[in-house]
Amino acid sequence: MSVIDILTRVDAICKKYEKYDVERLNGDNVAGDDAFARLYASVDLDVESALQKAETASQEKNRAAVVALNAEIRRTKARLLEEVPKLQRLALKKNIAFCEIFLYQVKGLSKEELSTRNDLVLALPDRIQSIPDGSTNGAKATGSWTASASRTEIRFDSTSDGRFESEYFQQTEESNQFRQEYEMRKMKQDQGLDIISEGLDTLQNMAHDMNEELDRQVPLMDEIDSKVDKATSDLKNTNVRLKETVNQLRSSRNFCIDIILLCIILGIAAYLYNVLKK
Amino acid sequence: MATQDPDKLMAKADNLTKLSFTRWNADWRNATVLYEQAAVGYRFKKENEKAKEAFEKASKGQEMISSPWDAAKHMESAAALAKELGHWNEVSDFYRKASELYRECGRSQPASDALGKGASALEDTNPDEAVQLYIEACEILEEDGKEQMAFDLYRAVTSINVKLERYTDAATFLLRWGVAADKCNAVNSQCKAYLSAIIVYLYMHDFQQAQKCYNDCSQVGSFLSSDQGRCTSKLLSAYEESDVEEIKRLAQSSPITHLDHVIIRIARKLPTGDLKELKKEEDKAEEQTLDENDLT
Repeated sequence: MSVIDILTRVDAICKKYEKYDVERLNGDNVAGDDAFARLYASVDLDVESALQKAETASQEKNRAAVVALNAEIRRTKARLLEEVPKLQRLALKKNIAFCEIFLYQVKGLSKEELSTRNDLVLALPDRIQSIPDGSTNGAKATGSWTASASRTEIRFDSTSDGRFESEYFQQTEESNQFRQEYEMRKMKQDQGLDIISEGLDTLQNMAHDMNEELDRQVPLMDEIDSKVDKATSDLKNTNVRLKETVNQLRSSRNFCIDIILLCIILGIAAYLYNVLKK
Repeated sequence: MATQDPDKLMAKADNLTKLSFTRWNADWRNATVLYEQAAVGYRFKKENEKAKEAFEKASKGQEMISSPWDAAKHMESAAALAKELGHWNEVSDFYRKASELYRECGRSQPASDALGKGASALEDTNPDEAVQLYIEACEILEEDGKEQMAFDLYRAVTSINVKLERYTDAATFLLRWGVAADKCNAVNSQCKAYLSAIIVYLYMHDFQQAQKCYNDCSQVGSFLSSDQGRCTSKLLSAYEESDVEEIKRLAQSSPITHLDHVIIRIARKLPTGDLKELKKEEDKAEEQTLDENDLT
């Protein structure tokens, strides 16, 4: 039988007769000077309390309370698992530090104690993991959850949908009502989502048609563009030529010549008139 | 000028064009102007027969002075009047002539538009002729590379064919529509055309043909992975399993509701006939092949 087994047995027995153990209650700070022993004691205490909680959880009727307890246990387990590496380091440090510096110290650890401490630390993670926290069944359910759709679909949390019949979950009036309400709400949500998806399908179809229509109109617009460009340049040309023509017509030189010629004609007319009158 | 009596204008114009002893060359330029005015006058007075004749002569005049565009325009007006008068063969003739004149100008779109107008005018009275005109219109556009504009024409042809219950023709045109859509990368229209064709085949209760059509269309990658492709495969598998509920449910589903309304109507009537018959036919076909193997 290994040391670990003996230790666990001793622990179990001590726990049983704990209330008679005045010394232990007073001697909680015996290991105050020893860091490793302190930490180990605290971890041990936590493990015990977690185990107690697990026991109450398995007997609890109220599902909400069960859930809360399980959550607490899980938290504790996580915290403890973090402490384990610290303990390991401390155990080793003890070995190295004390053996080197305090070779002849009474506080120094003997070889047996070293090995026991190592064994304790090694056994600790297993003990922590073995605390039941109600999550072992859940892991299997999530494992069977494969994505089989040809496109990605929106999935909602449905881990323990069909698992309400196992003896782990006991039903009460409250929980039945609760479950019914949950189903109703889920159905309503599904209906709403169906309507939304229909609307989205229509939108998609309209968008595709609009896309094709715009593609159809792009070359037409290009044609219009080039034709209008041509018309604009023609118009500009015509305008320039018109401007030149109008300027020519209204140039002052032509105007003066017109006036002079008019005067000459009037003069000739007056002269003829005079001659004829005579 | 419009106040002048159109009859007088017509008479004058005829004088100008008729070759006689004193006149060696017909004066088409002036005659055309007079003919146009006379035609407008007649149309205003709602004398459709005379207006139609006037437009015809005006068009001929424009041809003579080598302006095919105006000639085609006048032909179209004449054809519209002929439609109102109910001279159906004249309608098709005039529209065809107008389309040819547009092609002379090198403008394919108005040419096909003219044929399209003629076909829609003849849809009720002479549907075969209408189908013919639509096909010619589609061909003109396809020659010119303007398949996008042909979609409406294909749609009209399909609806006429379905109305006449010529389902194989309808399916053929739907597949041609798919080809046209493919050329201009209109994937959505292409997939819709293929889905419509398969629905038409199923409506004819020709499951083998539908299956073959689906296999052919699946060669086109974009159809296979589209909504319409998925809907088609579900529809065909529902037919194979003779699941009437499933067929009816799929006919209400969204890819089919976004098709042309003519197709939706026949889709809602699916399944036609007995689904078990289809199974029996299939089994018989399989048995026959087995027998042949035994003989050899």
